[in-house]
Amino acid sequence: MTQQTWDDVGGLLPYDEFHAASDAIVTNIEQVIEGKTATVRLALAVLLAEGHLLIEDVPGVGKTKLAKALARSIDCSVRRIQFTPDLLPSDVTGVSVYNQETHDFEFRPGAVFANLVVGDEINRASPKTQSALLECMEERQVTVDGVTYQLQTPFMVIATQNPIEMEGTYPLPEAQRDRFTARIAMGYPDPTAELAMLDGHGAVDPLSGLRPVSDADTVRRLIGHVRQVHVADAVKQYAVDLVTATRESPDLRLGASPRCTLQLLRTARAVAALDGRDYVLPDDLQVLAVPVLAHRIIPTADAQLARRTTDAIVADLVHRLPLPHDRKRSPYDTRPQSGNGRAPFEPRRP
Amino acid sequence: MIAHRNLGLVAAGATLLASAPLSAIFASWTWLVQAVIAVAAVAAAAALARLGRTPLWVQILAMVGGLMLALTWLFPSGAELLAVLPTPATFGHFAELLGSSVEDMRSHGVKVPDTDPLLFITVLGIGGVAVLVDVLCVGLRRPALAGLPMLAIYSVPVAVYVDSVPPVPFVIGAAGFLWLLVTDNVDRVRRFGRRFTGDGRDVDVWEASPLSAAGRRLAVVGLAVAVLVPLAVPGMTVGLMSTLNSGVGSGGGPGFGGSPGRVDLFAALSGQLNQSQVTNLVTVTTTEKDPFYLRFGVADDLRTDGFRVRGPNGRRVNDELPDPSRRSLPGVERTRQRATVQVSRDLNMPLLPVYAEPVDFADLNNNWFYDPTLQVVFSNRENSRGREYSFDYVRSSYTPQALRRAQPLPADLPLRRQQTATPDVPEVRALVGELIRGARTEYDKVRAIYDYFSEDNGFSYRLSTEQGTSGQAILDFLENKVGYCQQYAAALAWMVRDAGIPARVAFGFTNGSRRSDNTLTLTNRNLHAWTEVYFDQIGWVPFDATPAYGVPGSTRSAWAPDVDAPEETTPQGGTSDTPDETDPSTEAEQGPNRFEEGADPGALSGSDTPAAQRPRWPWLVAAGVMALLLLLAVPALRRLALRRRRARPAPAVRSVDAPDVAPSGAGQPVTMVVTDPDRARADAHAAWDELIDTLVDYRVRVDRTETPRATAERLAREPLVAHTDAASAARLLGRAEERARYARDPLTGEPLPAALRKVRGALAEQAGRRTRLMASALPPSVLYRWRTAIADTSSRLVNSGGQLRRRLLRFSPRRLIATRPR
Repeated sequence: MTQQTWDDVGGLLPYDEFHAASDAIVTNIEQVIEGKTATVRLALAVLLAEGHLLIEDVPGVGKTKLAKALARSIDCSVRRIQFTPDLLPSDVTGVSVYNQETHDFEFRPGAVFANLVVGDEINRASPKTQSALLECMEERQVTVDGVTYQLQTPFMVIATQNPIEMEGTYPLPEAQRDRFTARIAMGYPDPTAELAMLDGHGAVDPLSGLRPVSDADTVRRLIGHVRQVHVADAVKQYAVDLVTATRESPDLRLGASPRCTLQLLRTARAVAALDGRDYVLPDDLQVLAVPVLAHRIIPTADAQLARRTTDAIVADLVHRLPLPHDRKRSPYDTRPQSGNGRAPFEPRRP
Repeated sequence: MIAHRNLGLVAAGATLLASAPLSAIFASWTWLVQAVIAVAAVAAAAALARLGRTPLWVQILAMVGGLMLALTWLFPSGAELLAVLPTPATFGHFAELLGSSVEDMRSHGVKVPDTDPLLFITVLGIGGVAVLVDVLCVGLRRPALAGLPMLAIYSVPVAVYVDSVPPVPFVIGAAGFLWLLVTDNVDRVRRFGRRFTGDGRDVDVWEASPLSAAGRRLAVVGLAVAVLVPLAVPGMTVGLMSTLNSGVGSGGGPGFGGSPGRVDLFAALSGQLNQSQVTNLVTVTTTEKDPFYLRFGVADDLRTDGFRVRGPNGRRVNDELPDPSRRSLPGVERTRQRATVQVSRDLNMPLLPVYAEPVDFADLNNNWFYDPTLQVVFSNRENSRGREYSFDYVRSSYTPQALRRAQPLPADLPLRRQQTATPDVPEVRALVGELIRGARTEYDKVRAIYDYFSEDNGFSYRLSTEQGTSGQAILDFLENKVGYCQQYAAALAWMVRDAGIPARVAFGFTNGSRRSDNTLTLTNRNLHAWTEVYFDQIGWVPFDATPAYGVPGSTRSAWAPDVDAPEETTPQGGTSDTPDETDPSTEAEQGPNRFEEGADPGALSGSDTPAAQRPRWPWLVAAGVMALLLLLAVPALRRLALRRRRARPAPAVRSVDAPDVAPSGAGQPVTMVVTDPDRARADAHAAWDELIDTLVDYRVRVDRTETPRATAERLAREPLVAHTDAASAARLLGRAEERARYARDPLTGEPLPAALRKVRGALAEQAGRRTRLMASALPPSVLYRWRTAIADTSSRLVNSGGQLRRRLLRFSPRRLIATRPR
């Protein structure tokens, strides 16, 4: 098992090369998931941002299909874990077994020892099992019996789950949620796409025909490219403002973590690169705010009673947070007061 | 109970403070000592009565009793028991004092001496107010009402002299009233129990009560209203409106209102002489053929700021008056004459115009008094408006020889001491010393100074000079040698005083230019001032130094001839009714002067108003409109300047060094990017700022949460949907700004100004007419910017003010009290 250290990914790629590689992956996945370009690109962006993806939606909209399509498009090691209520942590991380021949304990790697780990129905396992993922997702290593094993690069966990209101699910702990870079919802396909799906998927499983169009090396180079995308100070400031806003919002009991800020900016770099830019825009952060922030925060009881979802709260914050700007240059805001009568959210700056 | 006793003491103290204004009418401070005793007696009686928890009416009786005891002790009739217990004889004495106090009030001008009747009525009044204040504050708990009796004390000096009651005593009185209110309110608030701040803790002793915040705000608003409203109300004396209207000339008749003591006759004089309107003030008929000036006032109190009018003091006009004809002297001719004066309704003053040395009056009631020293007729309660009266007077004329015989006054004579005092102005003193060198007699000295004010010495008459008779004004006059009667009279009097001879300034009327038989009609243009000099044994002798040509109806005498007239025509008490009578050789010079003065009789009655008198208000209005237009144009100009500045390409911050980037390989084509990135960035920012300002101007929504890209997309989607060109121009601007802000390298070489013009044109096209007009006349972007700047500044000020206050509170002495156990 070749251990790829985390830092020997390359620099900026030529625009065409990056574009060709990323587009190939997107196009490949779109053979399976139709009419969901944005979602697919976001999933790819999370991969390139070295993050983990949580796909949350009602059953039957193609969560697992997206996860598998992404895994298959890249020629790398893929493992799948079906999270069942009786799954044990050692099933995930691996276990030391006694080898009678060597008279010694031997480590049997678990499912996480792969480039892509697809965790299906993650919230059906008990929190005990779920927490087995905590170390590997953040630190990209597994410690069993006092021995630490490094995971491969790239490493990405793609988990699917049903909304927590569904029967037989355990909500993910906050620490676990915070380790997922983004949570995306699939959403129902639009009628045309659904019709096309009926035509195409009626006879054969399109997944079976999917061939890898990229490999781990290419992905590593893509990741290297993403890391070099320029982020202006104003954009960093905006990211901090956005995260601070969640911490100060009266609707939220728990705001976003500093880890969230990091991942937000990383994903924004990936999105910018996928968009063909070598610099991040506040627009990228605005697009990513809901997928990256919404699953980490906890609304207050009042907001819950008012049936305000975390998505809505984050979207509202984005809508009210002014861009960092030079006040001397443009002091204006001639918007009519927003419908709920709230003033624009002013971040506290020293 | 402690609070009540405390409040009673405060009430007594406040009453005493409120009586401070009386210091303005008393010459000494005896009244205060007696008032303190009376108020203390009242307060003590009240405190004793309250100790016994008696009902209110008993307290009142006790206080009145205390006052009675104090009065009995202070003003004894000699028949008291134990010096303080009044007897019927005491009350008789009180009644007597009351009666004669009325008399004293009439006969004494301010400042009044310490006479028993006046002191009695003062102490009685203050004591009464003390009783009232105590009852209102402590008994009825209505301290605000106590302000009324306190104000009543203040109204006494106000009634006595109108225009210049010193402000300090009033401030003291007001402070007393405030003290009373504060004490009462503190007591009231303490009764609520614990004070709290609203955030769950008690108010510290050193902190201002949160209740006071509303009070402070109300006070500020009240103060602002009290100061601003009178300025805007036209009826008030110094209203802004009346100041603006002054160019038109007020229609009201002239008046020297107020009490006889404190009128600034100089100011009134110049005001009257400068009026464009001519009003008949006095008609006088006399048996004398060539009367000297009719006079009504005297200024003989010379201070550093000039001659001042003193309060007159005298006896009733209907009493027997001193008759100068009893003193006969060689060379002094005295004849008894009779004159009838009719004052028009336009002349309103507490003085009556009479000829010098009246001896017998008819048709005047007992409210009129005659001051034999000042030789003026005055009243403390009546005025001259519409009055008609006649009187006998003694006309004296003197030969120069008779005046020469007058000896210098003894140096210790009070009259001389008082009437020769001058502020020290060395230049004047030196000039006087030079003029009177070699003059042997008093008269010669006076003549030497008098003759100095001649045309030969360069003196001329002009009405438009600054008024004032202070030392500096006199110096200026002697320097410039231009002035009118006020300066001439004051300068002569000043210099004669400097020569050690008593002199004063008299006010009155010249003989005017409208005369039929023995009847003179005198107008405001005939108002005049001249000098009177005192000679031993002879009395006050008039000298008029003002050039005769400037004064219609000017009269000269044998002892004070016209210094400008040629020797041979020296008139013997002659009258120059009109300036035309003067020497024709000076006519040419007088012409323009007369025109400037507006004192020409012809000009007065005629229709040709001098140009200088034309109303100024059209100019003022025009200037105001211009200023308003300019003010309104300021935002538009500012917007224009902003746009021009942004349209100009930013100066190159860093010049590209061409040789360094010169192509090394000959065949390799090198595209040289000439545009400096910093400059391109600045240009993009400028273009974007201009776009945002344009949006604000055309009332397109501007959103600070939107990125440049989103803004450009919105523009393309909403207002510019019909203008494809403009939409792509907007997108270009958005891209340029976005690159300038967020990318490593800005967008270069794009025609941003052209794009800007396109967007602006499209926006203007689809905006309404009103919006377009506002965008060019009063650009909302500039106004918005200013508003934001003002709001920022004010909030910063408020913040720093709050910080300062917190810092200062650390030094508050009340903080020390906080450690005191409560």
